[in-house]
Amino acid sequence: MVTRIPSLDDPRVLVETPATIYDAIPPYAPRTEREAEFYTLRDGEMLVNMGPQHPSTHGVLRLVVKIEGERVVDLDPVLGYLHRGIEKLSENADYHHAICYTDPLEYVSSLFNELAPVMAFEHLLDLRVPRRAEYIRVLSCELNRIASHALFIGWMALDLGGITPILYSFIERDEIVEMLAALTGQRMLFNYMRIGGVNGDLNHEFLSRLGDWMGHALAQVEADTALLNQNEIFVRRTRGLGRVDRRTALELGISGPNVRACGVPYDVRRAHPYSVYPELEFEIPTREEGDSYARYMLRIDEIKQSIHIIDQVMHQMPDGPVMAQLPRRITPRPGRAWAAVESPRGQYGCFAISDGTDQPFRFRIHDPSFVNLQAVVPLMPGNLLADTMAVMASLDPVMGGIDK
Amino acid sequence: MSVVARSSGRLSPSGKVVVPLLGALVLLLVVLLAGVGTGLIPAIVIWIGGVLIANVAIVRFVVAATAVLLFTIPTAFVIIFLELKVIAFMNLRIGPNRVGPWGTLASVVHGLKVLSKEDFTPTGADVTVFTLAPVVTFVGSVMAFMVLPFGPGLFGVDFNVGLLYFFGVGGLGVVGLLMAGWSSFNKYSLLGGLRSAAQMVSYEIPLTLSVAGVIMLAGTMSLNGIVQAQSGSFLDWFVVRQPLAFLVFFIAATAEANRTPFDLTEADSEIVAGFATEYSGMRFGFFFFAEYVNVFLLSGLAVVLFFGGWTAPVPWPWPVHILLTSSELGPALIALIVVVPVVGSVLFALPVWMLRSEWPFWRAWILGLVLFSLLAIGALGIYLLINLDALLGIVWFFAKAYVFVFTFVWMRATLPRVRIDQLMGLAWKWLLPAALVNLFLTALAILVVHP
Repeated sequence: MVTRIPSLDDPRVLVETPATIYDAIPPYAPRTEREAEFYTLRDGEMLVNMGPQHPSTHGVLRLVVKIEGERVVDLDPVLGYLHRGIEKLSENADYHHAICYTDPLEYVSSLFNELAPVMAFEHLLDLRVPRRAEYIRVLSCELNRIASHALFIGWMALDLGGITPILYSFIERDEIVEMLAALTGQRMLFNYMRIGGVNGDLNHEFLSRLGDWMGHALAQVEADTALLNQNEIFVRRTRGLGRVDRRTALELGISGPNVRACGVPYDVRRAHPYSVYPELEFEIPTREEGDSYARYMLRIDEIKQSIHIIDQVMHQMPDGPVMAQLPRRITPRPGRAWAAVESPRGQYGCFAISDGTDQPFRFRIHDPSFVNLQAVVPLMPGNLLADTMAVMASLDPVMGGIDK
Repeated sequence: MSVVARSSGRLSPSGKVVVPLLGALVLLLVVLLAGVGTGLIPAIVIWIGGVLIANVAIVRFVVAATAVLLFTIPTAFVIIFLELKVIAFMNLRIGPNRVGPWGTLASVVHGLKVLSKEDFTPTGADVTVFTLAPVVTFVGSVMAFMVLPFGPGLFGVDFNVGLLYFFGVGGLGVVGLLMAGWSSFNKYSLLGGLRSAAQMVSYEIPLTLSVAGVIMLAGTMSLNGIVQAQSGSFLDWFVVRQPLAFLVFFIAATAEANRTPFDLTEADSEIVAGFATEYSGMRFGFFFFAEYVNVFLLSGLAVVLFFGGWTAPVPWPWPVHILLTSSELGPALIALIVVVPVVGSVLFALPVWMLRSEWPFWRAWILGLVLFSLLAIGALGIYLLINLDALLGIVWFFAKAYVFVFTFVWMRATLPRVRIDQLMGLAWKWLLPAALVNLFLTALAILVVHP
C-alpha cells in the first residue's frame, strides 16, 4: 500500500510515501536526524502507536514504541494533544484572571498550579501575605499533595493490572477532595489562591472533616497500601525496573519524588524555602535505588510526611486576616519574578515579567512533568512492552501540565 | 372485510406477527388432522421411536451435547454476575443492583447488549479467519465439557482417554485466539495472539505433567474412573496424596484460562484488549463466553482430579434409600396425592384464618395451599437429595467447583499482572521441574507400595 501526501516544500505536489494510514510513521520526510533514525525500521522491528487514546496513557500522550518482539528498541513520545495555549491566554488577561487559567494545567494538583503564579505576582508586587493565609496555603497544598499521591498509587496498580488498589486509595482522595470542596467550593479546579492571600477562611465543615480524617489518616494509608507494598508480583515487576542513576537524573533535570528516589534530597520546600515551610518540621524522604518500586514507596513516605506537616500546621495556625490589602487593579512596576513550589511531581515554577500594565508581559510555567517525561526515552530501551506503562506510571506525568 | 384478506402493508405491526402465526397454526392443524386421519403420523412416530431405541448411544450423546451446550449459557451468566458482584464487594463498591433482585439479571442484560451491537469487521482483516476465530475458541471449550462428569451417570461421554481428550480439545481455544490475533490487522491483536500462543504452549506442559501423577494413582484416564478412585472420605481425595501436583495444576490452569495474574493476552493497560481489540458485538461475546466457560471447566477439572468430583467429603451419615417398598406404594401414592394435600392445606389454612378473621375461608385456604405446596416441594427436594445419588453428586460437584470459580474471581480482584518473561520463567523454571519431581515421587511411591 502506497499513500500520496503533500510534499513539505510544495503542498501542491503529491509525493509517494511508504507509510500507510495504519503506520505510526509521520506522513512527511524526516525533519531531524533523530526522526530519520527512529522511523527507519530494521528487520523484525515494528512500530506500535500507544496513544493518544490508549487505556493507560496518562492523559493524551502518544508514545510511538519501536519494538522487536516484546522488547522495546526505541521510544518517541509525541506531545501536544492537550495544548490549550494557557501561557499565551494568561498574557492577555490581568493578574487576577491569569490564576484561573493556570488552574487546569496539572489538573491532579490544582492548588500548586495556582500557588506558583500567585507567589511570582506577589514578588512582582513586593507584597507581604498575612501569616494565617500562608498557613492555610500550606495546609491546603499538603492535602492536595496527599490526594495527588493517592491517585498515583491507584494508577500505578491499575497500569500493572491490579484493579482494587485504585478504589482503596480513592477512599483517601475522595475524603480530601470533599474537604477541599468544603474549603474552596470546588472539587477539582479549586481557584482558591489569591494574590495576597487565599479566597476564604477555614470553615466549620472543613475543620470537622479534617479532624475526623486526621484521627485515622496514617492507619488508613497503611491499610490501603498493604495490598500492594509487599505483593510478590508487584515487587518483582517494579524492583530494578526503569532505574535512573543520580547523575542521569541530575543531567536530565528531573525533580520531585523521581529525583529523591535516586538519592538526591532535593526538595524546593527545603532547598529554596518559601511560605512558612522553614517553621515546620518534616523530613525529606529519599531512597537510593532509583527504580519504579523506590518511586512508588517514596510517595507513600511523602504522604506520611504531609500528614505530619498538616498536624503541625493545625497546631501552629495563627489568627488574623487571610487576605492582604491591595487594590482591585494591580499594576506592578516593571520587573521580572520567579517563584517555585514543590508540587507532587517536582519543582513547579512560574516566571513572570511585568511591563507596568495590569497584564503580565511574559508568563511562563515550568512544569515538572515535562522534564520528568524526558527520562522515559533513555529508560525504556531494553525493557519489555509491558514495562512501558509501569515506568510511565512510576514517573507520574500529567499531560495537562506537559502540553500546557 | 376479514383480517386475513387485508394486504400485509395495511396491517399494524402486531398484526404482521399475529396473522402469519395464525395462518401457520391453521396449516399445522390441517396437517395434523390429515396425518392422523390417514395414519401417517402414528406410523412416523413409531418409526422414529424405533430408530431412537435402536441407537440409544447416539441419542444419549445428542441429548447430552445439547444439554451441555445449553448449560454453558447459565454458567457463563452466573460467573459473570459473580465476577461483577464479588469484585465489587472486594473493591468496596456496591456493584450491579439495578436489573433484577440484587442485580442478578445484570449479566443477562450484558448478553443482550452484546447481541444488539454492531458486528464490525475492520478494513484489511482476513474476513474468513476473523469470523471463524471466536467460533473455534467457543467450540473448543464446549467440546471439552462433554467429558466432565457432573454426577454419577451425569456426563456426556465416558471416554477411556477422557483426560487426554479434554486437554486436546481445550487446546483448540489457543488456535482461535491466534487466529483472532493474526486476522484482525491490528498490532495489539497480533501481540495478544502471539502472547496467548506462547503462554498456552508453555503452560500445557506443566498442566498435563501435573495430572500424570493422578492418572498413575487412579490407573485410568477416564474422568469417571478418576472420581471413583477417590470415593470414600476426603482423605481419599488426590489432593491429599498429590499436593504439589495440585499446586502446579492450579497455577497452570489459571494461565490456561487467561485469568489474572496471567491475563497477558488481554492486558488492557498494555495492549488495549489483545486479540479481542477489533472484535465487537456477539463475536466479542463469544470470546468472553468461552473465557467464562473455561473458568468453570478448569474449576470442574480441578474438582474432578483432586477433590473427589461428585463424592461427598464425608460418607453420608444418615440412612439412605428410605424408598417405600412396592407393596406399600399404591396406597401410599393415593394418600400422598388425595388425602395429604387436602388435610395439609386445611391445617395450614386454619391458623391463617384465625389470624385474619376478616378474610373469607377460601382465601385463607388458598394461602394454606401455597404454604403447603412450598413445604411439600422442600420435603420432596430433601427426599430426592437423600435418595438420588445423582442429585446429591451434582450438588457437591457444583459446590466444590464454585469454590474454585470464586478463587479465580478473588485472584482477579487482588493480584496485579505478571510480565511475559516472568510468566515464561515460572512455567519453565518452576512449574515444569515441580511437575517432573512430583511425577518421579509418585512413580517411586507406587513402586514401593505396589511392587
